[in-house]
Amino acid sequence: MNDFSELEAELKQLRPVPVRDELFARIERLLLQPDAAPIAGVLPRPSRHGLWWSIGLGLSGATALVLLGLGFFAKPQTEPTVTQNPTPPAASLTSGFRPATLSQVVYRQRDEGLVFSPNQSERLLRRVRYDTRETMQWRNPQTGASLRVSYPAEQVVLTPVSFQ
Amino acid sequence: MERTRSNEDWKTCFAQLGPALLLFARRWANCRADAEDIVQEAFVRFWRHQHSIEDRALLYTTVRSTALDRLRSEQRRSRREAAAARDGAEHFEPQFTTVDEGQQVLAAAVERLPDEQREVVILKIWNELTFAEIAGILEISQNTAASRYRYALGALRKTLQPHE
Repeated sequence: MNDFSELEAELKQLRPVPVRDELFARIERLLLQPDAAPIAGVLPRPSRHGLWWSIGLGLSGATALVLLGLGFFAKPQTEPTVTQNPTPPAASLTSGFRPATLSQVVYRQRDEGLVFSPNQSERLLRRVRYDTRETMQWRNPQTGASLRVSYPAEQVVLTPVSFQ
Repeated sequence: MERTRSNEDWKTCFAQLGPALLLFARRWANCRADAEDIVQEAFVRFWRHQHSIEDRALLYTTVRSTALDRLRSEQRRSRREAAAARDGAEHFEPQFTTVDEGQQVLAAAVERLPDEQREVVILKIWNELTFAEIAGILEISQNTAASRYRYALGALRKTLQPHE
């Protein structure tokens, strides 16, 4: 494949110096201790199960926020808005990680006009569609690591309309 | 399904992988003892997280990030001390066990390679990793990994050629 094969074979003949027995003994001591190793830098990989839980709980939190904000969004707005929630969307998610922030950015809204209520056909509603990006962040205070989940979302708000 | 790892398994793995891990860790170490500390911490962390020992790329990534963490935590050291340490690398203990003069010359040539070339050679020759794995560990492109390897072997061959 290349013209270095002879050199590569010579290099493979070189043997790195073996590990000292002292290092074996040190590692053995550490491995025998129950979970006392220093954990810094490399994070344990979050399990897929935990990640899905995070996303699920995050979505629930975001939905709850949107429902609470229905009254706020009743009047159409022209400027994009950002809502910051310093409180966690849910309790502890994966071990060591704590919810830090939740933000919702409304980057587009469309007033789709008046529609009839699907349940009460004589009732008029105003339909407004919001395109948002929701971001949740968790932080591990022990390691300083953070986990962020961000996803686009679409919300449709129906507001009853009354004529005078 | 992954079988349960016994206490003795790590010894077998470490006896096999330890010398090359030490070789790799020396890039960030001032002496053999520092390299041993890096390898010890990384290996214990890796083993405790129950990662598959087949995932050697992850093992080397753990060594690298452990070494970088240590460097960051040692920022109190002055630039002058770091320079002195690099000079001190000339007095490193031999990194290879050699059997003849030809191997001694080759080992010395490997030790004189620039760090970024040397680490690729170590991962390729003594760990038999692919360029894709090496690229992942060092956070470089595959092409860069391959070209550093070619430059290194070219430099080694040039060093070993008899002078006219």
